[in-house]
Formats: sequence, structure tokens, C-alpha cells
Amino acid sequence: MTTRRAGGSVLSQLRSAGAAAVLRVEGHELAVSNLDKPLWPGRTKRDLLTYLAAVGRWMLPHLAGRPVFVTRWPNGISGKSFYQKVWEDRPAFVETVSIWSTDNGEARDYLLCANLATLLWLGQQAALEFHVWFSSILAGRDGRALGTRYGTSEAALEESRLNYPDFMVFDLDPYVYSGKEAKGEEPELYRPAFRRARRLAHELRDIAGSLGLEVFVKTSGRTGLHLYLPIRRRFDFAEVRAMAETIGRHLRERHPRDVTLEWAVERRRGKIFFDYNQNVRGKSLAAAFSPRRHPLATVSMPLAWDELDEAYPTDFTIQTVPEIMARRGDPWAGILDAKGDLEARIARAG
Amino acid sequence: MAKAMWSGVISFGMVTIPVKLYSATQSRDISFNLLHATCGTRLQQKRWCPTDDVEVPWSETVRGYEYAKGEYVTLTDEDFESLPLPSKHTIELAAFVEESEIDPVFYEKSYYLEPDKKGEKPYALLLKALEKKHLTAIATITIRKKEQLCTIRPREGTIMLETLFYPDEVAAERGVDLGAVKVTDRELDMAFTLIDLLRKPFDPEEYHDHYREALGELIEAKLEGKQVVRSPAPRDAKVIDLAEALKKSVAAAKKGGRKPARAAARPPARAQRRKAG
Repeated sequence: MTTRRAGGSVLSQLRSAGAAAVLRVEGHELAVSNLDKPLWPGRTKRDLLTYLAAVGRWMLPHLAGRPVFVTRWPNGISGKSFYQKVWEDRPAFVETVSIWSTDNGEARDYLLCANLATLLWLGQQAALEFHVWFSSILAGRDGRALGTRYGTSEAALEESRLNYPDFMVFDLDPYVYSGKEAKGEEPELYRPAFRRARRLAHELRDIAGSLGLEVFVKTSGRTGLHLYLPIRRRFDFAEVRAMAETIGRHLRERHPRDVTLEWAVERRRGKIFFDYNQNVRGKSLAAAFSPRRHPLATVSMPLAWDELDEAYPTDFTIQTVPEIMARRGDPWAGILDAKGDLEARIARAG
Repeated sequence: MAKAMWSGVISFGMVTIPVKLYSATQSRDISFNLLHATCGTRLQQKRWCPTDDVEVPWSETVRGYEYAKGEYVTLTDEDFESLPLPSKHTIELAAFVEESEIDPVFYEKSYYLEPDKKGEKPYALLLKALEKKHLTAIATITIRKKEQLCTIRPREGTIMLETLFYPDEVAAERGVDLGAVKVTDRELDMAFTLIDLLRKPFDPEEYHDHYREALGELIEAKLEGKQVVRSPAPRDAKVIDLAEALKKSVAAAKKGGRKPARAAARPPARAQRRKAG
């Protein structure tokens, strides 16, 4: 694969580079600088770019065709951060999609991360967290009938591929406190809490199975799990969110002790927050393989179901993941080929 | 940040300091629910009137004060509201004393006071003054309809409020009489030796509730072993097919003639939701 070869070439260029260099990436030139600047404790920008070059061939397919935004920490994770969706200055190899913004009353150019050079260009700008939409502009097998006018009006956008998500997503966020958190702090990573999130993920997989849907699981890279249910693009975001809420209520009924759907943080205490609220156009979770703002430079790591019970979020860092991926490949590789036909399934009901 | 449980002002001569009150302590006891041992259902409490043989809703209840056996005087919400509570939103400083003058038996519960933005200056002033003088203020505050005596004292850069029991709430002398007991100097020396052995600075971190820890571990072990009693769903909640429920939620999301949406104006609720995203 070309991305694989290009990644390998970048790895050797990064090894021999000084504090700054011009990288040759798939025929493009990319200036990088401050390579020895720490972004995480003990991890530099060189480490970040090395990681992105190494996992690019697995990560890029999950970003393809999806508007991307990033959080940048130019002075490392303990400094200020910037959430960035739109770029004024960008190199020619960066692709964009023009999307109508009702708030601005005009279309704006959103970034697409279509090649390794773009991924590394974002890394050069200290983008540590990569977020992508759950809908894509690519036709795939199920998007040909959907509209492709994203930038002309709200009504056209509503009818377009970008309004029909590829996944129903759930964010399982344990609000089980270890007791070491400062007053008012979010719960920190804690083994008993993560065990309960795992159990709930298995439960959801059973429920989804009864609907003919497959579930893909990854660590959030922080304290919880992200679950993606690939679905054929027959429902828009509002419909998918409504169904996601129903599944959440169903799960809460079966496991009232473990599941909470509460918005108020203090009422989530001791339970797993089953967050179905990301099923909205323009919302996102950290993408597969995205690094996170965690002192160990953890990564949101796609897992196979038989790996889940042994896996722990801190096992997967920008240091460890390239080797694991080279050994066992991407368990999420076929995610878009595993779409379930929820429409047909619920048409048979009632 | 936890929710403030009270907000008002500290009144101190001509100065008022807008503050919020936060609980400084919380009991970490593990609490239990009562279940029916045979079926595992969580028990409900019902208010029952034995005279009418009916369950009584909250709206038909009234508070009664038993002034003699079986004889009550009733008080309504209006009665309670009419009571004079001068310190309702004010912490009125009445006197300054040395902390050592207050017997710990009077202390009830601890709170933090935090200043509002515009109260920061006078708050800092009061804090500093109390620190320099090593003094504690005696004041009154009304929390949940009860006027309480309290102290205001500085602690590590924050003003603390401790509610106090009124003297008539503290049990009278217990009447321990040791007049007949003889203690020799040798025995006293031995006691001194023992005390000196255990003499060290107070570090609250060294002390744990061992019973609670053991109980927590037992519960965790039962969860791990799936020894879990699951309350059955209430009988009146219909067990419906999930796919059917999904169908209904899609139908509800489609409501408002949204499809085909090309020409139709969308209902405002939908537009709002988009903005939130």
C-alpha cells in the first residue's frame, strides 16, 4: 500500500531530522519544526509525528470523507488548547468540503484528512486529538441516492450524505469515582469502573445482535469506551439519535444499577453514563487511533471483542500502538462493510 | 463544583459580603435499600390512614404537633412562612471569641463560605483580620427553616462556617463520679509513658473506616461473582419489543411532515436542536 510505504519513508526521515526539517510525503513537501518540543510528559512532537506516520495506513480509512476537526495543544497538554474546524492557510494537498453553516449564514470550508501529508501537517500544528463526523461525503454502497450539495443551503444539507450517519454511536463514560479525584473533578481512570464499562459494552452487543447490528468497540483513550454500530444510510441524524435514546432507555431498564442517561453530572455518580447524545450532525468523538490528552499519551484504540476483557486504556499509547497494529492489524478495518439494515429489521416489528 | 446549599451575605458592621455556602463534609457510609427477601423487589413505603383505610397522597397531609398524648395542633405552610426569621439570608456576626472558648461538643457541621465576585475584597479583609487576631466569630444563620448558631473562622485561606448546637440541645452533665478512686504516682507515670509512645502530629489521612472498606469489598466481590438480585420490572410497565420501540422513536422523530423536507419549512424545535450541535 502506498500509505504504508510513504509512512515508512517518513519514519526514517523523522529519525534523521534535526529540530526542523522538510519532509517529503507522497511527493509533497511538508515543513516541520520544533520536533523536540514536549507535547506530553516525556513525549515530543517528533514522537507524535512518528506515531501518525506509523499508524496512518490504518487511521486514514476511518477519516476518509469525513469533516475533521482537531484540538491543538501548541505548548503541550498542560498548556492552552485550541479547538479548530476551519483553516485560512493550508497547503495544496489539504482537501476540504464546503458545508452550509446556518449560524454563519454561509458555507465554510471544512477540512478532510484524505492523505498522510494532511495528517502530518495537522500533527506539525500540535493537533493531538482528531475528531471526525459520523457521516461522510463518500458514496460507498449505500450513499448513491443521497444528495451531494453540502454548501448551498440548510435544506440541501439535510438531504445530503452528511445528514445520514454511517454509525449509531455510544460513549460509555464511567462515573465511578476512585476516591482520589479532587472535589468537582471528573472521575479518573479506575479499574473497577472500567470493568463495569466492559460489562455494559457486552450487554449492548447482545442487544444490537438482536437487531441484526454489529458493534465495534474502542477505548476512548481516557476512562471509557466508544461503541460504533454501523448502519445503512437510511436514517438521518435526528432519527438515529431518537433510536439511540430508545436503546439507552432499554439498557437502563435492564440495568438500572449500572446505567445512567442523566445530564447532571452529580446524578451520574456510581454509574456508567451511557451517552447517546453524540448522534447529531457535526458532533464527534475522538477518532479511531486519535491520541488523547492524557499524561501517558494514550490513544483511542480499536479492539476485537475477544481482546476487550484483557484490555485497559493505558495499554495503548503512541509508543505501544504501532507495534500492536503491525502484529495484529485493525479489528475495525471492515466496519463500513458490516452495516446492518436497521430499516428492514424495524419494518418487521409490531 | 457542587451546588451551593445556601447563598446570602455576611453582615459585619457596615460591611456586607455576598457569599455561598458549601458543605465541607459528607458521610461516606454505604446505604442499603430494603428488598422483599423472597422476590427481590425494592419495597415501597406508603402513607396509610388506618381510619379511612386508604393510601394518602402528600397533598392530603398536614403537620401536627403532639402537645398531649393523641392531641395535635396542626401547622400549615403559611404558618411556617409567617414565622419571623431575621437571619434568613444573612449571617449576622454577633461577637468574636477565642476558638478555645468553644467546647467541641457544640460543633455540629462544617461548611465552606465562598465569596461572590464582588464580595472578594471584603471577604479577604474579614479572613485576614480573623487570622491576624486568632479569633472566631459567633453568628446566626437560617438553613432549611432553622435558625442556627454558628461560628465563622479562617482555615487555610477560606472562611469556614460551623453550625453549633444550642445549649439546650447538648445533653446535661452525665454525672460520672470518680471521687472514691485512688490513683498512685507510679500508675500515673506508667500512663504518661504510654501516652508519650503514641504522641505524634494529627494526620487525618492515617485513619480509615475499616468497616466501610470491608463492606465495599464484599459488595464488589458479589458483583464480580454476579451474585446480584435484580428487582423485577414493575408489573404495569409493559414489556415491549425493542425493535417496535425503535420504530416508534423513528416515527416520532419524523413527525411534523419533515419528509420530504426539500420545500417544507422545518418546525422550530428541530432548528434549535441543530444549533445545539
